[in-house]
Amino acid sequence: MSEFRKTQLLLDHSYDAVKKQHYLNGSLTVLHCHHYTTLYTQLALDANETRLLAATAEETFYGELAAYLKQQNITALTTKIELACDYYAAVGLGTMEVVSLGDDSGVVRLNSSHVDAGWLKKWGQHTAAVNYIGGGFIAAMFAVITGKPAGSFNAIETSSIVMGSPYSQFSVVRH
Amino acid sequence: MAIDKKKIVADLSKIEVKGDKNGLIEGFNVLVNQLPAKFWNSFADRLTSKATPDILEAIEGLLINAAHECGYHTGYGIMTSDEWNAVVKPMIEKAPEDVLAGAFAVLGAFGWANTEIIELVPGKAITVRAYDYYESNVVSYGNSPKKSAYMLRGICAAFMDLAYGGAYDPTGKTGVHTFTCKQTKGIECGDDYGEFVVTKAK
Repeated sequence: MSEFRKTQLLLDHSYDAVKKQHYLNGSLTVLHCHHYTTLYTQLALDANETRLLAATAEETFYGELAAYLKQQNITALTTKIELACDYYAAVGLGTMEVVSLGDDSGVVRLNSSHVDAGWLKKWGQHTAAVNYIGGGFIAAMFAVITGKPAGSFNAIETSSIVMGSPYSQFSVVRH
Repeated sequence: MAIDKKKIVADLSKIEVKGDKNGLIEGFNVLVNQLPAKFWNSFADRLTSKATPDILEAIEGLLINAAHECGYHTGYGIMTSDEWNAVVKPMIEKAPEDVLAGAFAVLGAFGWANTEIIELVPGKAITVRAYDYYESNVVSYGNSPKKSAYMLRGICAAFMDLAYGGAYDPTGKTGVHTFTCKQTKGIECGDDYGEFVVTKAK
């Protein structure tokens, strides 16, 4: 009898006791809290640098996702999507559901979000979407999965938990 | 029992951190994330490097403030956590000085920096050295003219707030920002270590 197994996300955690640094799958990783995340986001808003924040997230996560999928030799589209969503949850950014994905566009829904939950916890509801870090991750995920370079996609937040929506949704479009 | 930094680091660095069914990590009264250090470094470095001289200080102040508030609230969460009570609290003989020493040991356990308290003037000032900290990774070659440890500056000041700034205020309206921190040396600038001098805020 056949048995179908979902490919599990592998997180190799190590700690360098000399340098006092944590690594996840070989990448230097740090713990931070929602105060830090939301204040960075507010700073990006104040400095009119939200694109920089999203681009920084995109470049960072593009490297992480591309390296992982290559290392694990993942080729199936569905598995790539599942692992990217699992990674997003594992690092504490929330839960992500890819509604659709194509070479040129797609839709992604977040049923929970660290940035939004943190913003609500710190300041309450907001009048505009604030999850630029999540948007950067989504743009990176689309680029990695479709085999395109970082910077190929733009993820626009069309509904937002922080604005009172039950979920956040991103419309993803290729440049 | 004096503060045993090695034991604190050994015990608390083993805490497993992973998102729950909602992909959120709740701990220490805050929502935690574990992102690549490169993300935080890259945004801070690019933002400050492109800032014109007239706004650089303001940008740096906001980066420091992000860590200051993070250090104040998360630091309090850590100091009241089950993990702290199990590992660090039994070592505390003299508060708040031992609490401070324990908090800086936790910095290492959580991967923020490998620090050492050089001098403490209770209630007034502290000098801390960091021999490894992820913010120094902004330079791969040569020496930067810009001291880049904004996170450590905020954290060091926040820990002094928690020790000597009065009762913890979850609203952040009081208690936080009673101390300020200046970075006097940086690995990213070619020094052997980062140095952080915290004094009472004016």
